[in-house]
Amino acid sequence: MVKISVLQRAPSAHLPARPGDPTPTHRNLDPLHHPFSRARERIRALNAAKMERMFSKPFIAALEGHSDAVEVLARRPNSITDVASASWDGEIIVHNSGRRTHLAKIPGAHKGKVSGLCWADENRILSCGVDRNIKMWDACQDAQLDPSEAGQSRLKPLAVFPGKGTLHSIDHHTKDPIFASSSTIVQIWDETKSAPIMDITFSTSAESVTRVRFNPSEPSVLASIGSDRTFILYDIRTGKAERRVVMQMKNNDLSWSPTFPTTILLASEDHSLYTFDTRRLDTPTQMYKAHVSAVTSCDWSPTGTEFVSGGWDRTLRIWKEGRGSQPEVYHTKRMQRVLATAFTADARFVLSGSDDGNVRIWKANASEKLGVITARERSAIEYRDALKDRWKMDAEIGKVQRSRHIPKPVYKAAQLKRTMEEAQRVKEERRRRHTRAGESKPKAARKKVVIAEQS
Amino acid sequence: MDSLITKANTALPRSLRTTDPVPQNARKYNHIANKKLRTTLRRQLTNAERSKALVKDAELLLPNEAGKMEVEGDMDKTWRTSQDDIVNAVSVEAAHGRKEFQLDGGPYRAKYTRNGRHMAVVGQKGHVSTFDWQTGTIHSELQLRETCRDITFLQDHSHYAVAQKKYVFIYDRDGVELHRLKAHVEPTRLEFLPFHWLLATVGNSGYLKYQDTSTGQLVVEHRTKLGACVTMTQNVHNAVIHLGHQNGTVTLWTPNLPHPAVRLLAHLGPVCSVSVDQSSGGRYMVTAGMDGSVKLWDCRSWKEALRSWNSRGGNATVAWSQRGYLAVASGGAVNVHSPPSIHIAHPAPSPPPLYLTHPQPAKPHTSLSFCPYHDVLAIGHAAGVSCILVPGAGEPNFDSSEADPFEGSKARREREVKSLLDKIQPDMITLDPEFLGKLATPRKMTEGVDPDTLPFARRPRLERLRIQGKADVTEDMSEADVTTDDPADAAVARERDHAERERRKMRGKGKSLKRYLRKKRKNVIDPRSVSVREHLAKQRAERERVREISRDESKSKLPSALDRFHHR
Repeated sequence: MVKISVLQRAPSAHLPARPGDPTPTHRNLDPLHHPFSRARERIRALNAAKMERMFSKPFIAALEGHSDAVEVLARRPNSITDVASASWDGEIIVHNSGRRTHLAKIPGAHKGKVSGLCWADENRILSCGVDRNIKMWDACQDAQLDPSEAGQSRLKPLAVFPGKGTLHSIDHHTKDPIFASSSTIVQIWDETKSAPIMDITFSTSAESVTRVRFNPSEPSVLASIGSDRTFILYDIRTGKAERRVVMQMKNNDLSWSPTFPTTILLASEDHSLYTFDTRRLDTPTQMYKAHVSAVTSCDWSPTGTEFVSGGWDRTLRIWKEGRGSQPEVYHTKRMQRVLATAFTADARFVLSGSDDGNVRIWKANASEKLGVITARERSAIEYRDALKDRWKMDAEIGKVQRSRHIPKPVYKAAQLKRTMEEAQRVKEERRRRHTRAGESKPKAARKKVVIAEQS
Repeated sequence: MDSLITKANTALPRSLRTTDPVPQNARKYNHIANKKLRTTLRRQLTNAERSKALVKDAELLLPNEAGKMEVEGDMDKTWRTSQDDIVNAVSVEAAHGRKEFQLDGGPYRAKYTRNGRHMAVVGQKGHVSTFDWQTGTIHSELQLRETCRDITFLQDHSHYAVAQKKYVFIYDRDGVELHRLKAHVEPTRLEFLPFHWLLATVGNSGYLKYQDTSTGQLVVEHRTKLGACVTMTQNVHNAVIHLGHQNGTVTLWTPNLPHPAVRLLAHLGPVCSVSVDQSSGGRYMVTAGMDGSVKLWDCRSWKEALRSWNSRGGNATVAWSQRGYLAVASGGAVNVHSPPSIHIAHPAPSPPPLYLTHPQPAKPHTSLSFCPYHDVLAIGHAAGVSCILVPGAGEPNFDSSEADPFEGSKARREREVKSLLDKIQPDMITLDPEFLGKLATPRKMTEGVDPDTLPFARRPRLERLRIQGKADVTEDMSEADVTTDDPADAAVARERDHAERERRKMRGKGKSLKRYLRKKRKNVIDPRSVSVREHLAKQRAERERVREISRDESKSKLPSALDRFHHR
């Protein structure tokens, strides 16, 4: 007796039960029924990588208003959209980057350029300029005025603090009503007193101090950089300069990490950025090399995993913390030397102020879609991200992911820089080969950065 | 950052995440110092292990069971069951697959779509018909009034190609002629590679041509140099085309090679049919020759036929089903053999045990094709097409994302677009489809560069790490595990690495000053160093003696009567 059964399929199990229902789907995960699964996944990853490049349109808007180069940007505490900017003609503007409007406009805040700007609290701005004055402004009084009047109104500062020399930078304490200014010396001021409460300077230093910044999480610690190629750490509790690091080249900007209190980022004149651990100042923890000209500004993302830097090479770069090469690079035809950069508080946007007098808004993730994203679209985006991550080692996909269009002068400069570095390396190698063995050991580039550490 | 945001938005809440324990034998990667990397690797491995276990679970949950034919005693034979018995034994729904199409203008060839729902038949005299065989809906019926040699569906039933007297023509579902492919002259056989969107044809001129049906480009044409060819099949797992030739060779072709990837002398006469086993991932191939023999080959070694037998009547046609049932049509009958016994190597020429037989007197049998996802075999012969039931031949559980017999028009359109997006480039076809995503073989040093004089900084990173002793040798070990499963190999590799490191350490040995000092030391007779040297020599002798003894012992464990004379 033979037992026979033949495959039969009831259509009812495979068709929608009622009109309008989704058609039932079935899965069989046996790899034999999914031929070329790997090849197809690779193609999908390649398409995802290409789509990312296709949709990477980072530029959002330019905030106009300044008639000269924008050198300083300061984002308002506890606000995602508001940012204050100041330019070389002495004008301060508070922008709302979401609505692209001016919340306040203070023309002629200083004679000459405004060199430093920071928020004292949510409503007051502190600014300093080359006219040797520190001024405090109310940033919100214009909000009530109608916009036509806002331009004309000559505002009076809330307070003026006469400084000693040309002021280069200013920064406010995170909690207390004190702030620091820098000229040839670093001075600590109280908001209620018209004279500085403290002068702190490293004993032998006489050059100008170009930037001073409070540590956001360890607020009595202060760092400064100077034109004498130094980088100095102060503590206002002791009222002393604690450490001084002399470097090969001068630094242009510094920024404390918002999540790692000991990490500090320096934007250097030698085309690279450095992160230092303040507990170990003899070598930087990481070098960030991609700019082809001096790096003029830098700012951490509030997450502390990324930072943005602007350079004399007219580009903006967004770096991942700990990854010293291949940053995201932004540029436009009309953007000139980038003098100031800032991340917004939601870490999604980047602001840049440049020589051409515009403040530009960029997406921090170039291919991110703005606006409402449906759940289906979100899951597709996540799937594509996972694929890109999985196949990033594939030659073709990696190439697509890495490729960036950069302006020809920048490209050529990078090429030239590479050639010169390679030539130097070869020369060094040859020199070493012709010296007595073991006499000259190669020195890591990271260890050449710091010349001396003093305390 | 993008990942950060998306994860924050859609990551599963902790309460819903899987709580399966980490698999027991998972690697710990404790040797990796970098904490981030270690965690990433561990997490990847854990996820991989978990998903493997889930796949295993999913197998248990598959809803349908394959058809079968079972006998109770040894004396009963399944092959005694006739088609009428099967039809009587099963339900009306299941028996629906048994059909006889009596058609004029034969012999006929029949093909199914990839989801097994639609069927295309073509008669030599020019009768072409495509229809949904389950509902009986005819899509198109043409009388082309010229010789037609083959037919195949393209991506789905909406397009099909016919090999006609002079050229290949493409028709749409309703039978409207869309394209005349003038590059394909006198075609005899057609195959469509669905994942690459390639239509492969071979003809009387002996050229194998690949046409991209999505872009319309003729991708490549290969001159086989082996004359007219009437035997062609594809391996669905790697998209390699198998051709059988007049001189008894079988050749395997890919678009990126101008010569066959494999050339095999299979038969003494012309090869008349070739088929590749899908159920084993394309591992086995069966060929039938005009000399009457049917041979089974292992596509990994090609050394010798695993099994060969003579089919009665010669000139057999062979086909393999989704689940590995082998149909051989020769003489006046179609014989079906069931899977596990087919693949077993058998030195003597004898056929594998018979599973089913069906007399089909209308010769010649020009085509055999199993219907995917059904227990149906379509036999194309001189008097039309007959569909017989072969219990167990079809895969019971389909995957809707690959091929769905019940898909509607919307799903069909969706799948067409998706598969166009996932179209694989023709040059990705190779014998091993899994080569993607594997580690590249290490690059050779540039010619003319002496690796020993190459400065340290210019060496590849892995070599630099190896010299410094920082390379992760365990990765190499795992490679060895995969291939040989032999700990000895790993040990050898480690030994080699160690030796290399030692060699590098001794680098300063030849320095002039050291040499001078060594020489000086040799001439000085210092009583202390003399005693130390003696002591060392004694120790070495002792160690040597112990080793000698242990070697002797291991040689002969059994006590001997002569042991008492042995001097200790």
